[in-house]
Parts: sequence; C-alpha cells; structure tokens
Amino acid sequence: MKIGGITTILGWLLIFLALALLTPIGVSLYYGDGMWRVFVAVAAITFCCGAGLVALFKGEDDIGHREGFAVVGLGWLVAAFFGAMPYYLSEAIPSFIDAYFEAMSGFTTTGSTILERVEALGPSLLFWRALTHWLGGMGIIVLSLAILPILGVGGMQLFQAEMPGPTKDRLAPRIQDTARILWGVYTLFTLIETLLLMLGGMSFYDAICHSFATLATGGFSTKTASVGGFASAYIDYVIVIFMFLAGMNFTLHYRLLQGKWRQVFRNEELRFYIMMGTGAACLILIFNYIYGTYDDIVQNLRYTLFQVWSIVTTTGFGTADFDQWHPAARIILVSLMFIGGMAGSTGGGIKHVRLLIFFKYAKIQVQKLIHPKSVNTMKLDGHRVPDDVIQSILGYLSLYIVVAAVATLVVTGQGVDIVTGFTAVIATLNNIGPGLAGVGPVQNYADIPALSKVVLTLCMVAGRLELYTLAVLLVPAFWKNSHPPRLRFVRGHAAKRR
Amino acid sequence: MRSIIVGAGAVGRHLCAQLSIEGHEVVLVDKDLQQVRRAERDFNIMAIEGNGASAKVLQEAQIEKADLFIAVTDIDEVNLIACILAKEFGVTRKIARVRNEEYLSSSSPLNEYRLGIDLIINPDQVMTNEILKISEISEAFEVVDLAKGEAVLVGYDIKEANPVCGISLADLKELKGLYDFVVVAIVRDGQTVIPRGGDQILPGDKLYIVVRRKDMAAVEELLSLRSKAPRKVFIIGGGDVGLRVARALESQKVEVYMVEADARRCELLADSLQHSVVLNFDGLDAHDLISEGIDTADLVIAVTESDTTNILSSLLAKHHGAKKSIIRISRPDFIPLLGKLGIDVALSARLVAANMILKFIRRGAITSAASLLGSDAEVVEFIVREKWPHVGRQLHSIEFPEGVNIGAVARRGEVIIPSGNTVLQAADRLIIFAIKDSIPLLERLMTQ
Repeated sequence: MKIGGITTILGWLLIFLALALLTPIGVSLYYGDGMWRVFVAVAAITFCCGAGLVALFKGEDDIGHREGFAVVGLGWLVAAFFGAMPYYLSEAIPSFIDAYFEAMSGFTTTGSTILERVEALGPSLLFWRALTHWLGGMGIIVLSLAILPILGVGGMQLFQAEMPGPTKDRLAPRIQDTARILWGVYTLFTLIETLLLMLGGMSFYDAICHSFATLATGGFSTKTASVGGFASAYIDYVIVIFMFLAGMNFTLHYRLLQGKWRQVFRNEELRFYIMMGTGAACLILIFNYIYGTYDDIVQNLRYTLFQVWSIVTTTGFGTADFDQWHPAARIILVSLMFIGGMAGSTGGGIKHVRLLIFFKYAKIQVQKLIHPKSVNTMKLDGHRVPDDVIQSILGYLSLYIVVAAVATLVVTGQGVDIVTGFTAVIATLNNIGPGLAGVGPVQNYADIPALSKVVLTLCMVAGRLELYTLAVLLVPAFWKNSHPPRLRFVRGHAAKRR
Repeated sequence: MRSIIVGAGAVGRHLCAQLSIEGHEVVLVDKDLQQVRRAERDFNIMAIEGNGASAKVLQEAQIEKADLFIAVTDIDEVNLIACILAKEFGVTRKIARVRNEEYLSSSSPLNEYRLGIDLIINPDQVMTNEILKISEISEAFEVVDLAKGEAVLVGYDIKEANPVCGISLADLKELKGLYDFVVVAIVRDGQTVIPRGGDQILPGDKLYIVVRRKDMAAVEELLSLRSKAPRKVFIIGGGDVGLRVARALESQKVEVYMVEADARRCELLADSLQHSVVLNFDGLDAHDLISEGIDTADLVIAVTESDTTNILSSLLAKHHGAKKSIIRISRPDFIPLLGKLGIDVALSARLVAANMILKFIRRGAITSAASLLGSDAEVVEFIVREKWPHVGRQLHSIEFPEGVNIGAVARRGEVIIPSGNTVLQAADRLIIFAIKDSIPLLERLMTQ
C-alpha cells in the first residue's frame, strides 16, 4: 500500500470539491440569502487542504487495487466531511454529527434528513444539498476520472471500487472515455428533466434541484412536503419516469441512444426490474383499493406508482404518507427497499442483478435435487456467469445481513422502537431515505440518538460503496506494509545530492 | 486510435501498458479468463475473453473501429489467422508474431505479402540481432543504430575508478576537443535524468551518448572505456537463438564454444556449425566449464530456456574471470536486479520483440524508435516536414517539451551533433531521446 498515491488523489478530489462548492455562491447572490460568505470560506478551506495534499506529498504512479479501495473509501468519508461544513459553519445545523449525517445522506443519494423544516435552510444551502446528490449519484471519483487528466494508470481500480456490482459492461476501452460517456448521459437526462419540470410550472431553481435529486436517486426536495408540496399530477409523472430511468443501468441508456433497442430490451435484469416494479405497484393498488385509502382509481394510481418507484429506485421522494397504508402494502414497500435499482444505476440496495442471480442459483439447486447428476451452468443475457461471481454474491448477501443486524442492534439498543430502528437501518443502508413509523415519509431523523446517527451515516456510505469497499478498510491486514508518503521537495534534493 | 492486441503474454502485456499510456484505446483478447481479468485490473484497457482467431470475438472487440492489430499469442497459426481476419475487417496495420521459418522466407507460398500482414516478427531473430549488436563492443551495455547506422546511441556504465567521475558535462565538453557527441541521458538509481551542463557524472551512472559511428572509438578513449571485438565467446544453450548467434560470430572469425546439454541437439549443432567447438554438458556444470576455459572468455552468452541456468552460469563465468556476459531472461521484472549481481546485459526476448513492434507502430511521424532496457526513456526519430512551422529556426528557439533531448540531426547522409545554434532544415532527420511520458507531447509538436 502506497499512501503517497492515496494522498495525491484525495488532494485532487478536494480541489474538485472546492470548485463544486463555488456554484452555490451564485445561487446565494441571486436570492440574497447572505450565505455566500460561508461557501467562499468553505471552498477556500477545501481548496487549501486539497492543494496542500497535492503539493506536500509525492504521488505514486501505480495505483493497485488496495490503493483504489482506500482512495474511494476515504474519499467518500472526507468528501462528506467537507460537504458538511456549509451546514455547520452557517449554523443552519448546529450539531456537527447532524451536519455530517445530512452531507453523507446527500453524497450517498440516500435522502434521509434531520431537518424538521427543510425551507428554513435557505435557497443556497438547499441547492448545495441537491448538488451533493448529483455529484455522489454517478460517483465523485468517477466524475473526477472523467474530468481530471491526472488519474491515468489506476483509473480502473478506482472505477471498480466506486461503481461496484457483479457485472460490468465497459463502454469504451479507456476508463476515462467510459466515465465521460456515463456522465454525459447523466447530464443530458438532468437537463431534459429540468426542462420538463419547468413546463409543469416549477421555477428553474426548484426544477434543477429536483432533477439533481431524481437522476441521482437521492430524494432531497426543496420542500418539507417533498414533491407532494407541488400538488401537480404532471410533475409527479415526470418524476416517476425519470426515477425509473435513473434506476436503470446507465450503460443501457447509452445503448438506447446508439439505437440498439433490441439489445437493451433483451436485457434480463431490465425485464426483472420492470417486472418487480409493476408487480409491486399492482399489488399495492389492490390493497389500497380494498383498504379504501383513496377515493378514486386515478388518485390511487398516481400515488401508488410514485411511492413504489420512489422506493424501488431508492430515491425516497414522497407524495403520500405510505405509513398510513394497508399493512400488507407497507411490508411490500419495505421488501422493495432491499432490492434497490439495477447494477450500474445511481440507485442503492442489493441490486436486481444480484437477486436475479440468487434466484437462478436457487433454481439450479432445485434442479440438482430432481436430477442429481445433471450439469448446470448459469447464464445471464446469454453469457455464462462464472462461479466466482456467484460466490461473491453469496458473500455479499451474508455480509449485508450481518451489517444490517449489527446496525439495527445498536440503534434499537439506544431505545429506538423496533419498526423505526429497523426501517431506519434499511432505509440508510439501501440509500432510500424515509422508513416507517418514527422515520416515515412525513417524519425525519432528528430524534434519533447521536450514536445511532453515526451508525446510520456509516450505513449510508457502506451501502453506497456496496459494503466491500468500506469493509476492507476496517481490516488491519489491509493497512499492513504501507509505505508512508514521501514529501515532494525533500525527495528532490536528496536525489540531486546523491 | 483503437488498437486490438491478441494474446496476453509478456509481449501483449508490455504493448498494452505502453499503448494505453500513449492514449490508444486498447482492446486485449485472450482465451484465458484469469489473464483477461489481470490485464483489465492492471492497465487502462478493455479485455475480452475469447479466441483471437474468431470473427465473432473480434466483432465483439469492435474490430471495425480499429486501425492497428497485433497478434502475439504463442501459437503461430492463431496469430496468422487472426491477422487474415483483421485484413478482411479492413484494419490498416497488422502485425503477427511468428516463429516458424516457413512463414518468414520470401520464397515460401505463404509469406507476409501474400497474407497481407505488414510486419511478421520472429522473436528469436530479433533476439539474435540484439545480442550481435551488443557483442560488438565489449564495454557498452546497449547500442542502438540511428539514422541508418550513421550514428549510434551507446550506453556505458561508469565504474567507480573511472577518471570522468565528478566531472560536469560542461567540463566534459571542453575536454572533448574535435569530437562531437551528446550525453542525452543519465540513468541514476533507476531514474532517467535528461542532463544539463552543470550535472556531474557520478560512479554507478549509466551514460547514454549519441555519437557518429566513426568517432565512437575516440569518445570511448575520452571516457576511458576500452572496446574491442571479442575473440573467445562461450554460448551456453544451443537453441534457436544460440545457433543463430554462433553462425554469425563464426563468420566474424570469432572462436566460439557452444555448450548444450542435449546430446542429439549437439549433433545437429555440430552439423550446422563450421569451426565452433560443440560441447555436450549442462550449463551449470562448473567443473567442465572451467576446464574448457570459460575463465578466459571475452564474452559469455547464456541463452538456454532456463532463467536459472542462464543467471548461474554467467555468474560463474564472471566470477572466474570472463569479461562480459549477456543473458536471456524470460521474466523482465528481474532485469534491474541482475545488473547489481554483475551480469552485464540481460535481454528479455519478449521485451525485445515488443519494442520492435512499437518501433514499427510509430512509423509515420516517428520513423524509428528503441526503448532502452531498464529505463523509462526511448529514442525516437522524426523527419522534419517542409510545412513544419519551425523549419529554419535555431534549436534553442524551439520549445521542446520537458524530458526531451536532441541527440543528433541527420542531413543528406551526414550526421550533425547539434548545439543550440543548429538551424533545422526540411527533410532533416532528428534523433531525439525522450522520457516516455513526454512522447505524446513531442509527437504533437512535431506534427504541428
């Protein structure tokens, strides 16, 4: 492990973050909320820290897979630290743990909030909140890969650590090109959604904030009542469509734009994703009808579709309080929380492809019981799934259960009731946002004890990086044989004298 | 530019690393899933599992977008078929590695022209050439022909006792008198430095010098290095490379001792060689080596299939007094280490082949190139085009990128060792020594 390589990339990441911190200044000046001083200060601090890291330590040429994990894991923790500063320094959120929770919820596109009243934050801080979603959605490290030319050799390591997933589909041989394509599609969709939302009567500011949150499958709104606050069926349906798109694998979008329709619609994971979402929506429609939640079918359809896709894609926007729905409807929604979006999407959760492979594995086991001597191979989209992929998925699922169980234990151990505690862990670990009961769609995370907030914050980043990336950082063997970073100027002199 | 490389062996991997750094879009095809994953982890490339000689796999690699195709698997036939397929898909440049002599001779029914392959590389032949080039001068560990052999790039090790130690390059310039040469690079502690006048020569440095071939002897005298053609050469390992080297040395009237462990191979060697002494014992048999007089050899060339035998036998020879050793090694990672052990030159057949391919690829703007073993620098040649904006300007007024040093200018068959005042003319051939990272920048400057 070469720490020098890590510090340099983290330094560049912070410089990049400092640039991002400049954008809310424009918003602040336009609305005159006086927050621009805070953003200037935070951007300056972030830039100095980043530039300091780059200037002080000598970089390393080869970034191995260990360094990749370390950069991504630490990168996210550090980014949320600096991302929390505007909330904390402006005194909008007085507790740093709360500010860090809010920032991490933003970057990991979770959308859980500790704010009682969102509007109290003011336009520029709300814009920053939405922007953290957008930056984190496709991955801050992947974004810097696309933009900064410094990440040459180790790019693949970083890409894999930040965009994990059992299957991978390279769009271009060079990792920079792949990253650029993904970010290009992402930006394009954001712009289209902004335009469509503005046609529905939203202001440009609200439209762009909601587009950021939708495409990133985040869920931060500029209103306490979330999307429901706009009370427009048109806006609801636009957001449903874009949530659906954001929960799809972005490489499929690129294939669609290339005109390869057949290839996309033959994708097994996509079919599974559509099937799960529509299946769940149909069931909930029926339960809501029986329970008499809504007076007419049009409203039922509108609210059900929105909540279901908001949960399936792990966005977490709300237009209705699903905590008041039929118990069966609620349990369906909680089950959906585990699954999350497709691999390669901006959504969280276990991902449809893992579940699909898991089911296929179960099917093979049944086959084995019927024909003990049969030889079975697993196929996905016509390609064979190697055994080690299956094994890593089984490993992932067991790790997932352990993390969820331990986190729930800590949260309920602090006196939070079972439903609240359990769904809070599930909602953060899967990057959804709202859970049930005390953290339901019209509630927030303000009343959760401080230690539990820290645990939930770690759940968010663990879920976003799909457990392994963060888990390896906690293993002492990972840090063994580390080379300390070499100072830049000292080394130059030594070489000359020798 | 999209390049497809078939075969993730040492050559394929070396090419992947090099081309991806230079900004190519590299797609690697190999039939071993483990190799594919490893390559994808190590380099910035796309890797596909599959048979490189299958049209379906090549389509998956989007061969229709490629303009460079390199087939370097271990199997000749796979390489050839892959290249033929590439031709059908309209790839402009195709390179294949082929061992079998039958495909190489111009009289055979299937040679590179008939197959439509631009370059066929035989690693053994390339290796032999490399060994012969180095064996000519005893003190140099590296010799590269430049400008059609008019000038040479030579690499020297500066030993502790050498009187030039501690002299700065500016002082050396005063000393050199009539002879023009340029110290283009110094490799110190594994790092390549493009030197300035104030830099001193230190013991343990590797000095790279560009000089006219006819002035080489004088420069060596100046640097207190002596060189002479070897008189007595031991070749350990009578394989393909060993036999080729032995034949070439025989024709230069060198006394050749050929050591080979396999008795039947020895008979064949004895048949094909004229005056060489063919010895049938193992290269690790110290007693036999010494009794045959390896201690008085000028040069030991160890080219058996086994790295261990090559290293140990040449160490033994050096220990007993042999002057110089050249060995073949299949694991290039060990090359830096071998210098410390006292082995003068270690060549990896695969790296040598990969460098030859790189040289060919850069044909075009860059006419020839060599990458120097154990350093991150390359020698490249550019021809100055008539429309190049810097024609007619003095060298010091042109902003060359950092890490670049002009070694020589070849003009109408004459080699000029340049100074800052040298004026460039159209059709000049510039011989440039450059750190690898700066080559793309240099290319941009030269193709303005």
